[in-house]
Amino acid sequence: MHNPLMTTLAAASALAMSTLPSLAHSRQLTLTAQLKNYGGDGAYLAAYLTDAKGAYVRTLWVAGGKAKYHTHLSDWKRLSSGDTKRLDGVSGASVGAGRALKVTAELADALIDAGYEIRIDAAAEDMRDSPSEIRVPLSAANAGKPQAGKQFIQSLTFQLQ
Amino acid sequence: MGWKDVHRWLGLTAGTLAVVLGLGGAILAFDPVQQSWQATAAPSDLSAATLVERVTRSIPAAQEIRRLPSGAIVVFSFVGDQAQATYVDPADGRVLGPWQPSALPRWVKNLHRSLLLGDAGRWGAAGIALGVGLLSVSGLVLLLRRMGGWRRLAARVRGSLAQRVHVVVGRVVLAVLTLTSLTALTMSASTLGLVALDAGAEPEVLSVATGQAALPVAQLAMLQSLPVQDVRRLNFPADADPEDTWKVITVQGEGWIDRYAGRTLAWRDSTPAQRIYDWALVLHTGEGAWPWAVVLGLVGACVLVFWLSGVVMWWQARQQAPHITGNSPLAQADVLIFVASEGGSTWGFAQTLQDALRQGGHRVHTAALENFETTATTRQVFVLAATYGDGQAPAHASHALAHIAKLSPGAVPVTVLGFGDRQFPAFCAFAVALEQTLRAQGWPTLLPLERIHQQSSQQFARWGQTLAQALGEPLVLDHVPRVPLTTALTLVSRQDFAGPRESNLQAPQAPQAPPAAAILRFSWPAQGPGARLRGLGLARFAAGDLVGIVAPGSAVPRYYSLASGWEDGFLEICARQMPGGLCSTHLLGLQPGDRIAAFIRANPGFALPRTRRPVVLVGAGTGVAPLAGFIRRNDRHIPMHLYFGGRDPARDFYFGPEIQRWIGEGRLETVHTAFSRVPDGGGYVQDALRNDAARLRGLVAQGAILRVCGSRAMAHGVTEALDALLAPLHLTVQQLKAKERYAEDIF
Repeated sequence: MHNPLMTTLAAASALAMSTLPSLAHSRQLTLTAQLKNYGGDGAYLAAYLTDAKGAYVRTLWVAGGKAKYHTHLSDWKRLSSGDTKRLDGVSGASVGAGRALKVTAELADALIDAGYEIRIDAAAEDMRDSPSEIRVPLSAANAGKPQAGKQFIQSLTFQLQ
Repeated sequence: MGWKDVHRWLGLTAGTLAVVLGLGGAILAFDPVQQSWQATAAPSDLSAATLVERVTRSIPAAQEIRRLPSGAIVVFSFVGDQAQATYVDPADGRVLGPWQPSALPRWVKNLHRSLLLGDAGRWGAAGIALGVGLLSVSGLVLLLRRMGGWRRLAARVRGSLAQRVHVVVGRVVLAVLTLTSLTALTMSASTLGLVALDAGAEPEVLSVATGQAALPVAQLAMLQSLPVQDVRRLNFPADADPEDTWKVITVQGEGWIDRYAGRTLAWRDSTPAQRIYDWALVLHTGEGAWPWAVVLGLVGACVLVFWLSGVVMWWQARQQAPHITGNSPLAQADVLIFVASEGGSTWGFAQTLQDALRQGGHRVHTAALENFETTATTRQVFVLAATYGDGQAPAHASHALAHIAKLSPGAVPVTVLGFGDRQFPAFCAFAVALEQTLRAQGWPTLLPLERIHQQSSQQFARWGQTLAQALGEPLVLDHVPRVPLTTALTLVSRQDFAGPRESNLQAPQAPQAPPAAAILRFSWPAQGPGARLRGLGLARFAAGDLVGIVAPGSAVPRYYSLASGWEDGFLEICARQMPGGLCSTHLLGLQPGDRIAAFIRANPGFALPRTRRPVVLVGAGTGVAPLAGFIRRNDRHIPMHLYFGGRDPARDFYFGPEIQRWIGEGRLETVHTAFSRVPDGGGYVQDALRNDAARLRGLVAQGAILRVCGSRAMAHGVTEALDALLAPLHLTVQQLKAKERYAEDIF
């Protein structure tokens, strides 16, 4: 298995640092996740990127601030365990049922159409955890196309600019 | 700030919010009960492997199995892209029906833990939990203080309905409430991120594909040896991911299993923090332990009862707070009066003293004793000090003694007047301590310490005469005690006694001659629960308590010992005609249907404790009344022995026929009488004690409790006789009093 940090560094050196928007060859990703009215408390969501081999690359956003409940986002938690800065600057409040989460991130051009995937883990209290609630290949063709999640996400759409 | 203040102010603030949390908790407690009702629990010998086998047979697409705290098994699966959650019978894997996390709306839980205010509300709720914890601790301190220590915790509770409800409920639920507060804080600590529950990063594990098919679940060693009882959650490896593993979370920890080789890839024990949290969760919610959930629900509802009764108590105390009129500013006053009062009545005496001194042209400043100080203008200081319980200072003045001991003495005389009750062994102990401290410090005094018994206005007036002489100015202390709210009692029946023979020796008794004494039985008006909660209407009473009766044209109540309790359904006293007595004349002139104005005054030192020990009752004349009340309510047939002293069995053997009946019913074991005015009558009641010395010694050696009621002279005689006959046991009446085995009701 890949060391996720190494993967990140490799991606950064080859494809320019994805976290620095000022660099050239980067594009802005806008992610919109519309939640279903699932009839529960605010959902915890972790949106992250995996590479062609399914290895963790970086965390895009984590909704829900209580570390106690992050264990319910189990795929993200497991895959990102080597990334000690996974929450830095990319976390916020949980998302209520029926509400939408909108996240933007700068991505290196080279990540698009290269087998990378956007994945979201979801969980809400007293409901069933949904690791890999949705997995959408990060391809230009998929941009703008809404996709449904398994349990909590009504539709996930991403735009590239 | 003392415990009482802490308790009061926390109760009025955090306690008010705790009512919301308590009621929410009471509602939430339905969930575990309802869920255990529904749960089809697994047999204790069922292994996780067998369960998984059964489940996959009926739900092939199962992805996760959870064992709920109630014991019910829930299986999560997908049908197409539709998420499913169903109850499953662990005995055969049969689908029982859809799963619902809770029968209650979500907002109840959110109200309970965050007051519907999100994270800020969680901090608030944790603060309230802390407040409840402090309320419980301060409540326990106050409870022990009120009841007189751990050993007397189960004793009968006195006071207004609100006070009794508060104390009785507190005795029962205090421990659970403390536990609930602690567990709430434990849960808050992890939710608010103050404590981490998990053991850091998860191990990186994956199933190693060997080209073989996945191993059947029946062959997974870890699941074979794992009882379903211990399982919390079991996740199946995903079909789409060949490297995915089995994951199982148990009571002990969590483990990962290779789907091909079946070996355990990693195991991680639960952290101590996690285990503490798990216990806190069960203890706080009652999940998986429905009888405990019922207890928790009841305790949650009790918070409302606590709050209501507490608010009523606070309001009552406010109503009774002292109001001193005509106070001069401290800096201008030449006379200072400092007051230490428990029930508030001492403030009334202070007001009388202040009014009398002001009439004489003095400028007087009255304040609570904890504010003790003197100024350049001060010429005289008076300290009016009541004693609380068995010798303690009244709560507000608890630090006054230490405060006074620290002051450097002045040249101004400080005179102490104590208020107390001779029934307590430490009569006016706080006033005595004050007097000793002041003298040791070197303060001069105008008058030596005087101790007023049972708020006696007459004794206070006599002290006023002495004071007037010492001051060399006219001064009259005409104290009219503030009479508590009275209730109109209606005379139901009366039983008359002719009185001593010699009063009729010269003139044979005329048929219409007024009776010399009577047993009077009254009824009280029906009272609504609202009035009783606020302490209005007639207070509950027991035999041995006192009824204060205010005769028309008199502002001073006269007290009579009660011969009956609330449970008897009537209020009975034994009244003797006092020469020129306003109240006794009024009482003995009553006809059935007539009314009197009365109120109850508790006499806690005299009431019988709940006991199985023998009881020795000594009474003379009408003093037999409270003793008769004790015997009448002796439903548990505790061995009671009555020593009765009268003058003439034909005239003043009060309750005579009843006493014979009570012996027949087993409520009274023996009765010894002594009649002083008939030949061979046996003399006085103390003679009856001496004649029965051997048996009395035996009873006292067995731990007997003694109650004596009658005149002061009689009580003195009884003490002498008992001291003499107890000498072989190396016991004295004083020692028995200190152990609360001996109490007197003297009139």
